[in-house]
Amino acid sequence: MITSLTLQQGADWDAQADVFNEIFFVFLALGTAIGIIVVAYTLWNAYKYRDADGNGTPDEDFDPPVVGELPTGQGGPKAKKLFLSFGLSAIVVISLVVYAYGLLLYVEEGPDAGSQIEMEGDEDNLEVLVDGFQFGWDYTYANGHTETNEMIVPADTRIDIAVTSSDVWHNFGASELRFKADSIPGETAYTWFSVSSDELEQTEDGERAEFMVECFELCGSGHSQMDGTITVMPQDEFEEWYDDTESDDEGVEEWEDAFGEGGE
Amino acid sequence: MAELPPTTSVRRWLVTTNHKDIGILYTITALFFLLFGGVLALLIRVQLWDPANQVLSGLAYNEAVTAHGLIMVFWFLSPFAFGFANYFVPLQIGADDLAFPRLNALSYWMYLFSGVLLGISFFQGGTLDAGWTMYAPLNVPMYTPSIGSTGAVLALFMFVVGVTASTVNFLTSIHHSRAEGMGLMDMPMFTWSILATVWMMLFAFAALLAVGLILASDRVLGSVYFSATEGGSLLWGHLFWFFGHPEVYIVFFPALGVMLELFQTFSGRRLVGRKWVIISICLISVQSFLVWMHHMFLTTINLEIKTLMMATTIGISLPFDLLVFALIYTLIKGRIQFTTPFLFAFGALLLFILGGITGVFLGAIVLDYEFRGTYWVVAHFHYVMFGGATALFGGAYYWFPKMTGKMYDEFLGKVHFVVFFISFNMVYFSMFLAWETPRRVFEYNPAFTSIHQVGTVGAFILGLSFFIMFYNFAKSYVSGPDAGENPWDYSRTAEWAVSSPPPLENWPNRPSYASGKLEFVKDYVPDGGPAVKADEDGNAVTDGGDHHPDHIRKYPYWDKHASHASIWPFLLSAALGVLLLGLSGFNPATEFHFGSSLADFSIDIMNPIYPVLTVVGLLALIWTGWKWGMEDFYAPPSEFAERWPFEGVEKVKLGMWFFLASDVMVFGAFISAAVFIRWNAGWGTWTPIPDQLPGLINTVVLLTSSFTVILALVASHRKSRKGLLAALGATTVLGTTFLAVKAWEWWTKIYVDGVFLSTAAEPYSAVQASVYFVTTGLHAVHVIGGLLIAVFLLYRTYHGAYMEDERPVEFFGLYWHFVDIVWVFLFPLFYLF
Repeated sequence: MITSLTLQQGADWDAQADVFNEIFFVFLALGTAIGIIVVAYTLWNAYKYRDADGNGTPDEDFDPPVVGELPTGQGGPKAKKLFLSFGLSAIVVISLVVYAYGLLLYVEEGPDAGSQIEMEGDEDNLEVLVDGFQFGWDYTYANGHTETNEMIVPADTRIDIAVTSSDVWHNFGASELRFKADSIPGETAYTWFSVSSDELEQTEDGERAEFMVECFELCGSGHSQMDGTITVMPQDEFEEWYDDTESDDEGVEEWEDAFGEGGE
Repeated sequence: MAELPPTTSVRRWLVTTNHKDIGILYTITALFFLLFGGVLALLIRVQLWDPANQVLSGLAYNEAVTAHGLIMVFWFLSPFAFGFANYFVPLQIGADDLAFPRLNALSYWMYLFSGVLLGISFFQGGTLDAGWTMYAPLNVPMYTPSIGSTGAVLALFMFVVGVTASTVNFLTSIHHSRAEGMGLMDMPMFTWSILATVWMMLFAFAALLAVGLILASDRVLGSVYFSATEGGSLLWGHLFWFFGHPEVYIVFFPALGVMLELFQTFSGRRLVGRKWVIISICLISVQSFLVWMHHMFLTTINLEIKTLMMATTIGISLPFDLLVFALIYTLIKGRIQFTTPFLFAFGALLLFILGGITGVFLGAIVLDYEFRGTYWVVAHFHYVMFGGATALFGGAYYWFPKMTGKMYDEFLGKVHFVVFFISFNMVYFSMFLAWETPRRVFEYNPAFTSIHQVGTVGAFILGLSFFIMFYNFAKSYVSGPDAGENPWDYSRTAEWAVSSPPPLENWPNRPSYASGKLEFVKDYVPDGGPAVKADEDGNAVTDGGDHHPDHIRKYPYWDKHASHASIWPFLLSAALGVLLLGLSGFNPATEFHFGSSLADFSIDIMNPIYPVLTVVGLLALIWTGWKWGMEDFYAPPSEFAERWPFEGVEKVKLGMWFFLASDVMVFGAFISAAVFIRWNAGWGTWTPIPDQLPGLINTVVLLTSSFTVILALVASHRKSRKGLLAALGATTVLGTTFLAVKAWEWWTKIYVDGVFLSTAAEPYSAVQASVYFVTTGLHAVHVIGGLLIAVFLLYRTYHGAYMEDERPVEFFGLYWHFVDIVWVFLFPLFYLF
């Protein structure tokens, strides 16, 4: 069943990027609209009630404050208006967040895992341990093999990553893929991403896609240069590459600390 | 030294304790730090001009980024606002001065010297380069080894000490010295915003003080809190942001207060929904302590807590909505005068709206995951914090006539606003467009080059725009037209009812709002008694009876003259500065050999400068502290004042309570840190390091000393000099016994069990040893401080003091009881479980 599903899932999956782009668009559209309305309303009123001629003709309505009076507020229709606007803004903000929260659950859980690729100890996802150091990244696979600065993963597969650090606080993120995780010594943070094979086809050679990894937390003098690459390749190529890697017991131990024995 | 030299004398500015002088000192010093931080910002912008070409090394860039953040947040924003708060809060509430003028001067000098320390740190092998958030463990010497890094941390510590003193001062002043008839709800909005700010500061800065102390201990003494993998990094995150989020409102609220004042003054309207605005401000102050983990959404915090934090974060945005609408609706039906101050306040509102909307984005966790560590965050907080500060510049123009007596140049002011507003948006809106750039990275994606270049051009224009303001103020101060008492048509607050600048003691007669509006009333002062209210002819009103609370009636003040000058705040701060400068390089300059017994103990001194500075600074600190205590400095309490909700509490006692509240937070943070680290290490894996018996003995000793302190108060009350000497002496002996037992305990741990700070023998871990020594050490420092005060009291008693006035003994007792109570919490935590 898993195999039959995976074939179509690649296209259906929402990568974190899709989720982000949707929410970002909604927030941006609403935010811009509200911003323009509020600012325009403010400017219009500031213009309308400007003191055009300096001290103008006194009218009965105008009751300016004087020095030394005990402050009182204005009540009446303005206070009602205040609560109306407050209520409206509360409704907008709260509904936005409730909407965003639904998608948060999706991002936290990740889509249903699925891939026909046979990985050691795990059948569905590829699980990679990311270890940050000054100034680069180590990627450890289930067989204990470690790559430095280049993370090699298959397309159409959900990649689960566990992120930790061996020295200071870093943050592992790939802007284009819209995922990020703190890399903290003594802690392990989990997230996931996936790249569909459609994206591979759009690249120049039509075979491999590369994404830039950057460090998003100040970590020392080399922070600016702490870049890395995620290389995505077709599943069969990945399997070929993975079978050639040498396993390493120490690496397996670290990997199992993060993912448990044999993976999740 | 009670007489104040004229303003033209340099000595005046060194000894003054007057709130208006100190307000001016704060304002000018803060503007200096604006330039300092601004130059660093321009260095950052130059580095960002071209992602492939750099002028600074990676390390130097990080130093610039760090110092820029620290200076702007700590040494510019708040002190600039508190320049105005110093000057205008006493005027707005109808007080003669702040509650503790000498303490106020101390706060200022601590601020200045802490800034000097920060400046020096650049020349101590480079200042801190861990970002203003100083995430652990990058902030420990293993990763930031320069002496200057420690110097910067100690500078921040000193700044926080000054802030704490200032917080206690403002809280006591606002709660104790409001003019008759001015209830809390009647206070002007600027004063309200300052009140909310200092309440937040009381608790938030205590957390920063604690985390700063722990960091200083890691850096100077060698404890291992923040390098511990048992939650050390997260501990920093939690403690820092527990301070850091309220800090956002601490820097914003004074600016909000200025906006609320200026919108009313320049529209001629009263604030819409005033009561609800005040309620919103109070709500935000409380809520600000419940949202800090939204800065840590990616740090392995579980989903339930993240959801809770998202809800509280959204919750805190709602009162802000109300504030914004209240400001907008206040303008309606007004006669808005587009003067320079109003333009800045109005501009601040527009910028804040944009900052607020982009902040809602960050509240949605999924978006925050992506925005984390990017320029979206940088742009957002500049719109909020610097956007808020825009209103403070409005405040500078608004109050310039009052502070100098001269009117600024309106045309130049408007030019400044236009240039400022346009370039502000060039710098910070461009950051939104290039938001995918990681923070503190200069080798960014070349696709954003041209956007960042727009930002750099904008930054230079923004920087230059301030010289229009400096020129305007300088020119107007020298040759501007006289401003008169009140240059504004619709101002309301009391600072506009006195001359510009106001006289030394502010008021012609006692200000009172008893009739519902400000009046200056003349009281009748009988010989040997407190002032009583007088009728129009100046005769005492006899039917009203004596309305003074006990503490006013009880202690003689009416025959004393208020003091306005003291050199000790300046010297004491200088002494602390020298001590901290010494400590910054103490660790690398010395090496301690503990040997196998105390007899083998030795110290190697590689570089004598820092140890000498440390010793000199410490001795000078004790000496100046002693002289401070001996100085006859008198700040009379307000005779008739609104004091809700602290009517019955004497002034200094109220200050003492506020101070103790902040100290409760400091110990709370230390204890939380101990619990957090232990929880992360596995609660059950720790067994107590010290033995129970000496701990139990010490508990009994300390509790007994609480009893002798009460006996001391009784003796003082009965005017028994011998009794007081005996009780204080017993307290001192008990305190010393406590320290002796403690010293024996530490000696055993170090030489018998081999447990010391960062080198713990089995079964203890290094971090457990650190937690034990540092937490109980902080308590021991409190005991030592208490003993120093006790010795001072003994000396004064011997010379006949405290027979008429028992209050100092009582205040010491409060502190001593507090130190004892803390021990009651530490004993089970470190000795029993």
